[in-house]
Amino acid sequence: MLSLNRVTKQYGNFTALEHIDLEFSQGVYALLAPNGAGKTTLIKMLATLIFPTRGEILWHGDDIVALDASYRELIGYLPQDFGYYRNHTPREFLRYMAAVKCLKRDQAAQRIDELIDLVGLSEVRGKKMRKFSGGMIQRVGIAQAMLNNPQILILDEPTAGLDPKERVRFRNLISSLSKDRIVILSTHIVSDIETIAGSVILLKDRRLFAQDSPAAVCATLAGKVYETDAIEDIRVPHLLLTERQENGRTVTRFASEHDCGESAQSVNPNLEDVFLYVYRDEER
Amino acid sequence: MNDFDKNASIDTILDRGLVKPPAAGERIGSMLRELGLRFIFWDTGYSLFFAALTFGCAFVLFMLMPEESGASAAVAIAPLLMLLAVSFAETSERLGGLYEIKQTCRYTIRQIAALRVIVYSAAGTVLTAIVAFAGANGEGGFLSLFPLCLAALFVCSALSLSMLHRTRNEWFHALFTAGWIFANLALGFAAGERWENLLRGMPAALSIGFAVIGAALFVWQLSKMLREVKPYAIA
Repeated sequence: MLSLNRVTKQYGNFTALEHIDLEFSQGVYALLAPNGAGKTTLIKMLATLIFPTRGEILWHGDDIVALDASYRELIGYLPQDFGYYRNHTPREFLRYMAAVKCLKRDQAAQRIDELIDLVGLSEVRGKKMRKFSGGMIQRVGIAQAMLNNPQILILDEPTAGLDPKERVRFRNLISSLSKDRIVILSTHIVSDIETIAGSVILLKDRRLFAQDSPAAVCATLAGKVYETDAIEDIRVPHLLLTERQENGRTVTRFASEHDCGESAQSVNPNLEDVFLYVYRDEER
Repeated sequence: MNDFDKNASIDTILDRGLVKPPAAGERIGSMLRELGLRFIFWDTGYSLFFAALTFGCAFVLFMLMPEESGASAAVAIAPLLMLLAVSFAETSERLGGLYEIKQTCRYTIRQIAALRVIVYSAAGTVLTAIVAFAGANGEGGFLSLFPLCLAALFVCSALSLSMLHRTRNEWFHALFTAGWIFANLALGFAAGERWENLLRGMPAALSIGFAVIGAALFVWQLSKMLREVKPYAIA
């Protein structure tokens, strides 16, 4: 189990994260917060790129700082901006990464072939990566993160810049990888995690706002989300969430603490509603 | 460190004991065994080629220098190959998007960079001997100039390691190289003959003393970087 005990990270006088307590066991954990809320700081601390100013991060009770290389052997990391060698094939690139991760040569060769198949790049395994799409590059990124069969897979904004088809494919891949490990992914794209995350972590004002299953997080807004095609008739204070066109009408989805009676229909909240509601004061 | 952090650190140490990092020599051995030179220098080919090319041009200029500036020019050029190699290779490494990933591997990229600096410094030592010989104009001053050039090389190597260790800035090392060249040019212009005479008149024992101090600094920085265990307990 990976746990954070009252973790605080400061950069000079600026506090990026404060008193974060979290626990991770097997499954997909989605860090959901707007840009600049501290997601990447938290991810980087879990990946040992930066260290807490106060508090500790423990792996089965041992400080990851003290575990040093033996902790790094347990993690696979895909950063937000994943660089790669454009003139190398996925196989060559993965062979290099396997060496840097100190995998034995024969073990690595077999693992590389397995991973190339797993991420669906078998047909292009011999092609140079400069011709690859964003989605294919991300899949190479996942493959490199999986080389050491990590117990903790850390993905920072893995679907940023991918087209919808690639995003779905990527989601399915992450879901299949989470069966026997901890997968921690940060995102601000709600649809990425709605179906695959077992637990959603919301950060707000540099602190942990909530950690629960998507259903439980959505339940916090139960009875507060409505839809109407006549928003101008709503007299109680409310927060506009989304709008859509339906049969020539504009259907507005909104949240309100007050009962809207018959002028609007109560609907089940989804993660996007929660996101917009929780971060209503943040700049969008 | 405040009392809270101090007590927490003491508790952690009492609870789990002190972690003894491997010795630098052991770390070098295991890195060479497990990574191999091929992967230690992977993707540095272009950088090293341009470093060698730039150094070659500088060396030609050095050979064309008037004899009366030989010693000061030799000290200036002695660490140049190492500085250029670190600048080109490590700047491109840091600009590449794999830097972060490589920091999360078993041997961090900083430790790999430290290993590369050893090789650059070893190559630099051989070149330093040639440069010092040329700078001394075949006179008896070689024994004094060579240790001075070595001192410059080792001090620059130590500072390079320290910078690689302390800063994540991509361009910092290139600035350091530029700064070294500028400082030596400025010294040449400002102090001129006096600086040259000071170097030429330096007793061999004092020069060797500087070289030993430089080497000690280099080994200290190297050991610190290779044995790196991140700030313990309360970081």
